[in-house]
Amino acid sequence: MPSATVNNHRPSELLSRLASAEPEVKLRALREVKNQIIGNRTKKLSFIKLGAVPAVAGILADSADDVIDYNNNNCNVNNNINNILVQSAAALGSFACGFDAGVQAVLDAGAFPNLLRLLSNSNQKVVDAGARALRMIYQSKLVPKYDFLQQKNMEFLISLLNSENENVSGLGASIITHSCETSLEQKVLFDAGILRRLNSLLEGGSLSQRYSSLESLASIFKNNSELVSKFAGAEIERPLGSIIDLLKDRYPRTRLLACMCLIVIRNTSPHLLQDIGVKSKLIHILLELLDDPGQVGDEASFAFSSLIAQKEDLQKLALEANAIDKLHHHLQKGSLRPRRYEGILLALADMCSKLESCRSKFLSLQVLNLVTDALTDDSADVRTAACICLKSVTRSIKVCNVGNSFAVLVLIFNANIAYEMPIQNLSAGYFMNEMVVVPLVQLFLDPSTSVQVAALGAISNVVVDFTTHKCIFVQCGGMKQLVQLATSMESAVRSNALWALKNFVFLADNRLKEGVFSELTASLLSSLICDPEPSVQEQALALVRNLVDGCMNSVEFMFAEDGLILGAIGRQLQNASKAEIGIQGMYALCNVASGNEFHKEAVMHQLFPQMVDKNESFMINFLQSNDSQLRTATVWTIVNLTCPSSPGAFGRLVKLRNAGIVSQIKHMVNDPCVDVKFRVRTVLGQSMAFGDN
Amino acid sequence: MPPFWIVIRQLVEIEEQMATSKKVITREEWEKRLNDVKIRKEDMNKLVMNFLVTEGYVEAAEKFRMESGTEPDIDLATITDRMAVKKAVQCGNVEDAIEKVNDLNPEILDTNPQLFFHLQQQRLIELIRNGKVEEALEFAQEELAPRGEENQSFLEELERTVALLAFEDVSNCPVGELMDISQRLKTASEVNAAILTSQSHEKDPKLPSLLKMLIWAQNQLDEKAAYPRINDLSNATLEDPTV
Repeated sequence: MPSATVNNHRPSELLSRLASAEPEVKLRALREVKNQIIGNRTKKLSFIKLGAVPAVAGILADSADDVIDYNNNNCNVNNNINNILVQSAAALGSFACGFDAGVQAVLDAGAFPNLLRLLSNSNQKVVDAGARALRMIYQSKLVPKYDFLQQKNMEFLISLLNSENENVSGLGASIITHSCETSLEQKVLFDAGILRRLNSLLEGGSLSQRYSSLESLASIFKNNSELVSKFAGAEIERPLGSIIDLLKDRYPRTRLLACMCLIVIRNTSPHLLQDIGVKSKLIHILLELLDDPGQVGDEASFAFSSLIAQKEDLQKLALEANAIDKLHHHLQKGSLRPRRYEGILLALADMCSKLESCRSKFLSLQVLNLVTDALTDDSADVRTAACICLKSVTRSIKVCNVGNSFAVLVLIFNANIAYEMPIQNLSAGYFMNEMVVVPLVQLFLDPSTSVQVAALGAISNVVVDFTTHKCIFVQCGGMKQLVQLATSMESAVRSNALWALKNFVFLADNRLKEGVFSELTASLLSSLICDPEPSVQEQALALVRNLVDGCMNSVEFMFAEDGLILGAIGRQLQNASKAEIGIQGMYALCNVASGNEFHKEAVMHQLFPQMVDKNESFMINFLQSNDSQLRTATVWTIVNLTCPSSPGAFGRLVKLRNAGIVSQIKHMVNDPCVDVKFRVRTVLGQSMAFGDN
Repeated sequence: MPPFWIVIRQLVEIEEQMATSKKVITREEWEKRLNDVKIRKEDMNKLVMNFLVTEGYVEAAEKFRMESGTEPDIDLATITDRMAVKKAVQCGNVEDAIEKVNDLNPEILDTNPQLFFHLQQQRLIELIRNGKVEEALEFAQEELAPRGEENQSFLEELERTVALLAFEDVSNCPVGELMDISQRLKTASEVNAAILTSQSHEKDPKLPSLLKMLIWAQNQLDEKAAYPRINDLSNATLEDPTV
């Protein structure tokens, strides 16, 4: 009976036996290494650290050379060589199985070309072992891409796919899944007639051939609507049907892969698979696959997300299929593997991203508590997913105070000031309690940038609150941390921190704003307005816009440190790289222009600086922009500057007229955007009050 | 359509007809209906072959192939390898079984953590059975504990297994069923199923599920009618309807 202990199989001792000159000893050692590492990540790692991979790769290389030397002269010797080849290839394949460190070690040891050589061996077991190992390796992104564009590579690939050996044809399909990314690569494969071969593997192949051909089909179609229409059109009608048939397959993995393939096709060409039957079938199958205890169940939620993301009709269907109940049920089970946990949270996030009915279902089931728990999970991916889910749910306007939001709208009209209003998340007050806020704020300091960014995204929605709860956020140090993060090295962190601050000061009282402003300082804010990253510029300008909400005290912020901020805004507007920056900058000026005479003149100074008045004013470009929001913001500013009740209005009107702006505005009386049209009429009315026509 | 489905469909049709009152169907009437169902001999043969192959009866399958001319849907040689693995687990030689599976196809245990854990667990059980306490502890620590860290449910199963060491009389302790021969059979059939799946073969034979369907359909029908029931499944004798 074989000994069950591991005592006399210590890795180091095994390694020395690998180096033995005796083929028998070597073979036994190889087999033992293989048997120790299969299924055992810990062992793989410790063997890799001891340098086992180069040792095994060396044996493979030597024996592959021996095959040529002996050239079938001696049957016994050959038998031994073949066994060594099989065992070493199997060991290398296992090192690479689902383990990037192993793949790297195998690649570094130069084993790749020798494994390829095994494919042309005359012994089927050697071919099997080589193909299996290569397939394992091709699961990793660490492997260099296969170059389909070279003629001889394409020929080799076709020979793999045409092989009778299912491991070899499976390898061919895995290479496609691994390396087919660009539309050119997709087209080359399509033109080479690969689809026909994949399709025959789909219909007549074994289980594993079916798996790999479904995966390769998906990678050939991904985001390439031209190929999809060629495929689903006249040329080959059947394949789509045969994929749909596989939705009924008895193997869960086949059903999952068929779903994923159809989802790729649907997302690429939305006009296909519009049949409600197929849509609800996909939803039902994926929800059912969540129950699978293995990898299929883990991946089902990701496939579900890709099916429903951004698509209201599918989210509605999924809600009717009790998707939220089912996802909730899985969360309740607890002790989920990270991948599964992450997938379920992201699926919930996508479910709640658009429809109010979904969010109210989410709230009624009290899923929130479970999602909040996930904020402190060990896995960074799970924490990120929990933040994304919270962000999605807090978009809810369900529990918003109607009276308040109405008041906001009235306020905007009365004072001619503009907020960057986070319209989507008026309900956030509901979430503004310690249970959610404190763990979210703690994630600001998370070691993972993606967690930080996601936490900031979530807090952006949570901190919007009309009245009372903002102080919780300040008390737990959230505001100070946001300011800190606004100076992060990562532009995504800077921009999301500013986004959150922007929402935080939205309709906040002056005391809170002063707090934020003194923490931020004028110099930091103006340098953020001039950040190299446009998304940061935009958020910094939007923050200014909300900070200066027409009340005199807050307008004064702009004039701290000799009007540093105002100057920065002016500079950005002179050379705004995209419309969004113009919009936020103009609204910021618009709000300043709602102040007193001095404020209005300061805005004029930014709009018409002495130095550049020979050039056409950027205001004209803004008014002629295709972006209606930019036109609106610009006209609003002019409304505030020419308000007849202020003494200097006429002088400013003259300046605007001289710059050709008034005549431009006259051309806009029938602007397609209602907002613009009304504001244009206000400007013209005001200018007529000064006798202009 | 497979023959048993036809029978089941008939049963369901009869059931529908008799939705209102409980009708009596005589043996004569029943047999006449059964005779109307045409079942191809080849289909029956395929069912039998499927059973023999899946359950691993190589010699019987070989004989049956020669006698009936039914081709198995799998290379019979692979059955021998699979049976050797199954047998090794059944005899408690788990390490041997693991090595055999790895020779057959190294991907099976590398991509199936649950099966790998159950085999290792079985190895631990065998060590405990043989009274090798120290070895068992070392094995649990070195091989199984890392798997428990990766998966909560493995950890629970591991704890249950290690608990065996705490009892003098393991067969009469709360986790005693782990020592039972049925635990070996459970593990053996799990390996068997995994090997079959890796060979693109279904892991369960069709015959038992057809019999289950037959029983289900009869139970449904019982509520609606009295008819010649099959109680003795191995001989398929029709009982007289009891009124």
